[in-house]
Amino acid sequence: MKTYADKLLMTVSGLLFLMTASAQVEFGPISGDAALGKTSYYDYGCYGCHGFGGIGRKNLANDVSGIMFREDIFLTYLRGRSELNPLFPTQSMPNYPADSLSDADALDIYAYIRTFKDDPPDVEDIPALKAILDGAKAQ
Amino acid sequence: MIKKTDQEQGGISRREFLGTSAAAGAASILPTRSEAAPQAAVPSNGVPLSLPPTDEQMARELGDTLPPSIMRAAQRPGSDLIVQVLRDLEIEFVASNPGSSFEGLQESLINYGEIPNVMPEFISAMHEESAVDMAHGYGKSEGRPICALVQGTIGLQHSAMAIYQAYHGRAPMVILVGRDDKHFLQAHTADDVAGIVRSFTKWDAHPVTLAEALPAIQEAYRQAVTPPCAPTVVILDTEVQKEEAGDMQVPVYVPPVIPTITEQQADEIAAGLMSAAKPRLSVGRFRTPEGIKRSVELAELVGASVETKSQVGPMSFPQSHPLVGPDADDESDYVLGLEASGAHAALHGPHLRTLTERDLTSINFGGIRPPVRPRRDAPGQNDLTADAEASLPLLISAVKRRANSKSRKTVVLRTRHHTDVNHAARLTAIEAALEKTREGWNASPVSTARIYAELWPLIKDLDWCIGGPSRFSSSHHMQLWDHDKPYSYLGGHPAAALGYGLGAATGAALAARERDRIVINVQTDGDFNYTPGALWTAAHHQLPMLTIMHNNRAWHMELMYVQYMAGVRGRGTDRAHIGTTLRDPYIDYAKLAEGYGVKAEGPIEDPTKLAAALARGVDAVRNGEPYLIDVITQPR
Repeated sequence: MKTYADKLLMTVSGLLFLMTASAQVEFGPISGDAALGKTSYYDYGCYGCHGFGGIGRKNLANDVSGIMFREDIFLTYLRGRSELNPLFPTQSMPNYPADSLSDADALDIYAYIRTFKDDPPDVEDIPALKAILDGAKAQ
Repeated sequence: MIKKTDQEQGGISRREFLGTSAAAGAASILPTRSEAAPQAAVPSNGVPLSLPPTDEQMARELGDTLPPSIMRAAQRPGSDLIVQVLRDLEIEFVASNPGSSFEGLQESLINYGEIPNVMPEFISAMHEESAVDMAHGYGKSEGRPICALVQGTIGLQHSAMAIYQAYHGRAPMVILVGRDDKHFLQAHTADDVAGIVRSFTKWDAHPVTLAEALPAIQEAYRQAVTPPCAPTVVILDTEVQKEEAGDMQVPVYVPPVIPTITEQQADEIAAGLMSAAKPRLSVGRFRTPEGIKRSVELAELVGASVETKSQVGPMSFPQSHPLVGPDADDESDYVLGLEASGAHAALHGPHLRTLTERDLTSINFGGIRPPVRPRRDAPGQNDLTADAEASLPLLISAVKRRANSKSRKTVVLRTRHHTDVNHAARLTAIEAALEKTREGWNASPVSTARIYAELWPLIKDLDWCIGGPSRFSSSHHMQLWDHDKPYSYLGGHPAAALGYGLGAATGAALAARERDRIVINVQTDGDFNYTPGALWTAAHHQLPMLTIMHNNRAWHMELMYVQYMAGVRGRGTDRAHIGTTLRDPYIDYAKLAEGYGVKAEGPIEDPTKLAAALARGVDAVRNGEPYLIDVITQPR
């Protein structure tokens, strides 16, 4: 029987593979409720690092995180560090054991994060940013 | 007698001395008590721990009595001469919350002279912490002191945190402390008032006559501007302020002698710079704008590439200068540090640590740790303890002596090369920063990057200063703006303690008001709520300060700390908001500002409404009035 550490190791290995091959990989299905997830995303303070719409110190919008490829990877990532703390002592993300954040709540959050899209205008189309760029060029 | 921090105390330790002094002081008070006064509890050693106020003292506390008429009758009050000392030192402002131990000095400040209440002007602060923060902001902006005036024991304790922050910030300021030991509440006085803040001030004195007070203030000024710059304290008894000055004259002020390198050292460094193929200057923070001017002259004489700290703090090399660029140290064959680390030579003025070491054996500084100077490399044999600013004339002369037609041609070619390379590097960095800045551009709450990006086109052609810390709003100005003035950015919280930003920005705005400059303050909400009364000071004194609330409705760093701890312990993060957020109710900062008399608008959650609001704010401050815009923002 695989230990949790083995499972996590496999998941992380798969995760790293997926992250390197992200352009070719389809994202997995969504089973959670994004509307409920929005509340939990706020209540559990995810916005603290990831911003209110997935743009923050650690971006999540536009499916940029390999952790978000599949629900099982997301859940394993959330749980792994609480089981084997401190597996990744250099990471600042809190641990989320199942008795503090249920699978159902976590999958709702997953569904909400998957809605994050950020499609800002190009620099040239934002007057303030274009002014900064033009100013730098003119120096 | 003047009690000085570094004075020998006759072979006994400072702690022993203070203990002896306190006991003697308590005993000396006894005969002045009214006969009707209730008796204090007397412990076994016979020395009263505290005395309840007398009827006379309580009457004065409540404003029911006036100072004795003999003091009102002074023809030439001592406090007039104190003001003259400040005027001669060109101290522009005295920031103060009124207290009942310096009415003599306050009356002179507002009434003495042909043009009273100018140089210095009395600035009304709502809290002593604000008053000292104002001195801190002004000191960093101008590289010279103003005064904070506070009441003995109680006012000084209110201001203690701000003094601690100023000490870590190496801000020059003179703190005048009123002390009434004769007519007032015992709780408002002490034998050694300065002892409250001695651990984090550079120098203090308690003159007991006017003749001692005048040079003591001059010495406090001299100590404050001598590196390491730091707050100094002078205790002024009410009797000294009200003393008849007679024909006493203000003593002549003698400027400090700042330690420099020797001519030989200057020549050796000049030889290193002139013989190098790729010389480089690493420039930190000078004391005054004069250091910047001289460092520019040196860099241009040598054609050296330059690393600046002007994006992260005051008094460094202008960021847009063509010689400033990212040339890596390992590509340079001679690196000179000016108040910064340098591979081949580094000039550092005396560090604050030297003050701690000076008195360590006598007062132990109450456990206060000496500030640490961050440096990339360990101090080595090439580090020279000498003030860089004061040493630069020697260096410049030495370089000029070595210059010849060949070296001048090399400098021209090198400068041309640096100009091209640095321009390209700057452009690349800006393009990368703009790509990052546009992320979440249309998000609500508003991204902090958008605040800085929308502001820059509005102010880039004005004379501006970022008066408050920007780290919590992610300091996007560092990537997007050009920091070319000594005061472009006054830096973060020197002791990493909240309650500083609004007061410091107000102090910077005091300087700005006199110089056709505006102050920008992207103000975190947690920090704001310590001393919001500074807004009233800005309104009352018509200060050009634009405050943009970085309103993330939390003490956000602590929120993340608690989240992490809850996560580590596996107990969930859904209650981490308790004690770390500013919810239920949300604070309406625009209303609060309007209550203090500051024009304001917000809260703004729609990012498309930000630019117009900022334009209104900039217009207002250009017209000489403060303005506040409450922006609901992303956390960082």
